[in-house]
Amino acid sequence: MNTLHRHRALTAIWGTPKGWRGTISSVNHSDIGRRFILAAFAFFAIGGVLAMLIRAQLATPDSAFVGPAIYNQLFTMHGSIMMFLFAIPMFEGLALYMLPKMLGSRDMAFPRLSAYGWWCYLFGGTILIAALAFGVAPDGGWFMYTPLSSKAYTPGINADVWLLGITFVEISAVAAAIEITVSILKLRAPGMRLDRMPLFAWYLLITALMMIAAFPPLILGSILLEVERAFDWPFFDAARGGSALLWQHLFWLFGHPEVYIIFLPAAGVVSTVLPVMARAEILGYGWIVAALLALAFLSFGLWVHHMFTTGIPHMALGFFSAASALVAVPTAIQIFAWIGTLWSGRPECKLPMLYLLGFFLVFVLGGITGVMLAMVPFDWQAHDSYFVVAHLHYVLVGGFIFPMLAGAYYWLPHFTGRARVPRLGEAAFWLILVGFNITFFLMHLTGLLGMPRRIYSYTDDMGWTWLNLLSSVGSFIMAFGFALFAIDVLLQIFLARRSRRNPWGAGTLEWAMPIPATAYNIASLPQVEGREPLRDDPELALKLARGEGYLAEIRHGWRETMAVDTTSGAIDHVIILPGNSRLPLITAVVTGGFFLSLLFGYYWFALLPLAGVTALAWRWLWVLGARSDVGMVSIGCGQTAPIHREAGGAPGWWGSSLLLVADGTFFTSLVFGYAFLWVIAPNWPPPAQMDGGVLPGMIAAVAALGGTILAYRAHTTVRTGALAAAKRVVLLAGGAQVIVIAALIAIGVTALPLPTSHAYAAASWALIIYAGFHAFLALFGAAFLHARIGAGYVSVARSQEATIAQMFAAYAGAVTILVLLCLFLPEMLA
Amino acid sequence: MTMLARATIGLWLWAFAFMILYALHGIGCALRWDVVPLLGGTVFRWTMVVTWLCFALGGGAVILWAKRAPEGLERQLAITSSIVGLVGILVVGSPTALTSACL
Repeated sequence: MNTLHRHRALTAIWGTPKGWRGTISSVNHSDIGRRFILAAFAFFAIGGVLAMLIRAQLATPDSAFVGPAIYNQLFTMHGSIMMFLFAIPMFEGLALYMLPKMLGSRDMAFPRLSAYGWWCYLFGGTILIAALAFGVAPDGGWFMYTPLSSKAYTPGINADVWLLGITFVEISAVAAAIEITVSILKLRAPGMRLDRMPLFAWYLLITALMMIAAFPPLILGSILLEVERAFDWPFFDAARGGSALLWQHLFWLFGHPEVYIIFLPAAGVVSTVLPVMARAEILGYGWIVAALLALAFLSFGLWVHHMFTTGIPHMALGFFSAASALVAVPTAIQIFAWIGTLWSGRPECKLPMLYLLGFFLVFVLGGITGVMLAMVPFDWQAHDSYFVVAHLHYVLVGGFIFPMLAGAYYWLPHFTGRARVPRLGEAAFWLILVGFNITFFLMHLTGLLGMPRRIYSYTDDMGWTWLNLLSSVGSFIMAFGFALFAIDVLLQIFLARRSRRNPWGAGTLEWAMPIPATAYNIASLPQVEGREPLRDDPELALKLARGEGYLAEIRHGWRETMAVDTTSGAIDHVIILPGNSRLPLITAVVTGGFFLSLLFGYYWFALLPLAGVTALAWRWLWVLGARSDVGMVSIGCGQTAPIHREAGGAPGWWGSSLLLVADGTFFTSLVFGYAFLWVIAPNWPPPAQMDGGVLPGMIAAVAALGGTILAYRAHTTVRTGALAAAKRVVLLAGGAQVIVIAALIAIGVTALPLPTSHAYAAASWALIIYAGFHAFLALFGAAFLHARIGAGYVSVARSQEATIAQMFAAYAGAVTILVLLCLFLPEMLA
Repeated sequence: MTMLARATIGLWLWAFAFMILYALHGIGCALRWDVVPLLGGTVFRWTMVVTWLCFALGGGAVILWAKRAPEGLERQLAITSSIVGLVGILVVGSPTALTSACL
């Protein structure tokens, strides 16, 4: 097969149909990545307009531009949009588009999940923006502190829009995090060991793992607060044993790692673009990876520095203050590695480099004020003032927007296939840099003069007038800069001349393909021997296009890519990815129906879309797989490998494992909340506690253990090939889960006080619902496995579905036992 | 994943130490261990300081263990992360000996 025929055949397999049918069914990572980026930029523009309205209001004292109610919505939506609808999705979009190309793969591990994440993001974001248009947008600040966001003080649906809309978007983020992690660990080119991976992939791997650990506490907090608002379960109501501080803990458990989740991908862009601009290899690859790991861990020990003024004892403040200072060290190591790279190379001051210099200036200043705020006495003075507003914008704009703009100009030829129009980009850079510093540097001073955050007006005698006016002027200069950037990008897309391939002379694999990239990325997959394959072999792109790598042979219309050993990069198996499908869109629409039902208070009706999601999940899984074994297949270069359905450690197993890790973090946060209420909250011990329930408790424990053992037994029976016996065992395992659910309900109904009576009862019910839900998932897994064995989709070689069903059953068993311990232990100790 | 787990062992220890110290602090203050005298100090202070020092010793042991990790990036990460873990434990746990208990 010659190069042209191979290109046509691969395009037919991997391409997206033209027109709206293609739009709604595409699961291709380049399409989804581009959509994420464009939508994120659109949301950024909306968030930017809100910022300009804020600055218009504050430009003069006693301003009557907008009233306090609208102003509250403006700053809440500005923060929420920038954090949840711009920063995270923008990095997700870049990751989805770029990762497979950099790793020498043809797509991400779960293309349908990417598409589902995209539609969830779009619908969740649309709900939030629609609320803004109808004047019912969230108005309690982007961190939604209780009791302000509780029903008593926010009786309208404003807070519900935030809680449900953001949770909807968070589903998209967790889906993307799992997708990114599995793709980096498994879907690399053969030979790409972990220590040969591009640094950008390291950054994204660590970011994605952080998201898997950090987002569940926020999802939990949002669910608890929404349940409190909807059903009056008093998790955060101090009068009934709840605690407003619990919300702050759950929020900032997510919120502080979030800062690094935003910063790290952008730092990954710096580590990718800077060595190319400096015409040198990055200095200290290993040190940078070590610094990233340290940063990821330390960032989870800082969350209380957002709560220094809440009356927490000095010793606890000391823990978090010390950790906050410590986290500056790994950040500094990266900065020094980048400076050293510049020092050792011959830097060219092209446009991406200009943005990197802007990043150094702005981010380092933000980092320094961050260390100031990490010191408790200073924070007590500056907390909730404009000094904090200045600091967070220096960190987030410096640490995310400047590097992403550098990345935009660096990779735009890859997206568009065109070179940029000269000069406009430079003008945009200077407008953004100067405008930004005028706006936010002065806010340090406004803050030190005592101006609090979030006030909608001030009087002339406060002495803040000129500083505020100049900040507003600066913000409009910055807005012109961003508008110019958008014009520059549009000109490049539609009018500029064609770019040559690899215009920067980079060494990473994303440049070893035609630009703009084809739907399948590369005609054959390379054998990687170093960190910069293109620099090692400048002819690599042509060789791969000629089919001189892996998987050049096309068969059965399969979408094939390689999976490798996570550490060594040795060939593991061939992954056959699913093709275009409308399932992600339909599932996201039904998921959206669930959230909208809750938003408008139709709680019983919400069960309908919930059942729909369950049915669609069944369908989603059912359409995969095959009824016969394939055996080893040729992968080119004289080698063979099994396909993923017949190999251990396939992406499905990895994805399920990571989902359970996220789930485990959610559960740990729930147990933390329960323990926190017992130890810290006022009005404890509760007036009425668990009364009885021992018998159903013992039944639940025995059934949970039985379900786990039976699921394990079913798995081992499948592996021996006795499928009829395995079916019977699976049926028993499902029966055990039904007993668990019934026994858990019996405990709640017969032994617990009403959940509205006290936070103890509400938290206990939350634990029971969690365990019951997971017993239901295990039941779902058992039913699915039973049907799959019956339909011939399972064999000794194709036993992965049994492995995954067993994993979910084991998790359900473990959490049921732990929940029972949480419920009965206080009673036993009393 | 085994490689990543080995490469971050010191950091896991730091995270565990942090969690235990913070949890003990909450429990100790709730149960008023800070007013129970013991060996010239209080039950609270001794509990916190001894726990902190035990974790620091553990951090030292992890450094020795990390030296036996497979050569290359894995060993570099294991050693670096275990040093960071130990320093983290020493710095973050130091308030157990230096600040007021439950005020």
